Amino acid sequence: MMKQVRSFIVGGLTAAAVSASLCLGGCSSTAGVETSGRASWDEQGARSLEKNVVFNGLKGDIQIVDVRSSMAGDIMRAQATMRSKDKDTLPLQYRFDWYDAGGVEINAGAGSWKPLILYGRETKVVQGVAPDPRAKEFKLKIREPD
Amino acid sequence: MKNGIKTLLAMAAIGALSLSGCASTMQYGDAGSAKPISTEFGSSDLQQIAEAMVDSMITFPPMVELTSARRPVVSVDKVKNKTMQHIDTESVTDSIRTKLLRSGKFRFIDRTTDAQTVEELKTQRDSGLVDKKTAVNFGQQIGAEFLLTSNFSEIKQKAGSTTDVYYKFTMSLKNMKTGILEWSDEKEIRKVFNRGTFGR
Repeated sequence: MMKQVRSFIVGGLTAAAVSASLCLGGCSSTAGVETSGRASWDEQGARSLEKNVVFNGLKGDIQIVDVRSSMAGDIMRAQATMRSKDKDTLPLQYRFDWYDAGGVEINAGAGSWKPLILYGRETKVVQGVAPDPRAKEFKLKIREPD
Repeated sequence: MKNGIKTLLAMAAIGALSLSGCASTMQYGDAGSAKPISTEFGSSDLQQIAEAMVDSMITFPPMVELTSARRPVVSVDKVKNKTMQHIDTESVTDSIRTKLLRSGKFRFIDRTTDAQTVEELKTQRDSGLVDKKTAVNFGQQIGAEFLLTSNFSEIKQKAGSTTDVYYKFTMSLKNMKTGILEWSDEKEIRKVFNRGTFGR
């Protein structure tokens, strides 16, 4: 009786371990960083950028050192500088999403992920250009590849 | 004996689990995914090229100046595909043209639909169906001021189990009146495939 119970427990544990490892392989979640910047103009016409960085994972791997933005004519450009905290090469992906003055996304869902290779302890800059002059706010998403 | 049955059951459970892991699946994918499947030219490469070219062109200072007061008319030339692959390069230039149009900075003429245009104009003029006052006459289209030309090349290297492919897409904007290149840029992409010991 005792032996049967033990073998049942061992079998169950093995199955649990197998299913856990399968899940790890197949259901990994995508962690990432979201950096945003919203441009606004004061009464004198001076431009300022309100910045925000939200980490949802990757906090131990990269650091957002700087976020800035400039204008090329009436088109908004964004730049973020990131530093790797890792000594190994990090394969990452990033994309920029753009929003108008009312916070509505421009060309919603049309953006694509771009590969980003961050070498050990390297500082790298990613740049994005707004799709049209309506853009006043951007979101930069960085994540591990799927 | 009973012990054996239990072990069999446990093995069957493991087998079922591993089978569920290998079963065929079908699902929608992200159209903007940057997951490389092979070293061949893929959708993400197309998107990266299109975005890089458009971003560069609309932020190049002389172009910013040129497009600040008017929207120049541009014609898109066929891509010179010098790669060893059969690539729908029109799809690449279509993406670039769409993005440039949507930026509100440029206007385009499309020579691929000229046959249909001629047919429609003929119908308007000759069929007797269309009011002469509203019928569009021949010879009123606007000539393009610029020509957008592009080259696409690849360098492929293979050593042992590693395949390394380097792509380079070069695009230029030529002023058709003066023959001067007003803007040019290139996008490079490198894809590396390492065949594993038990790889495909």
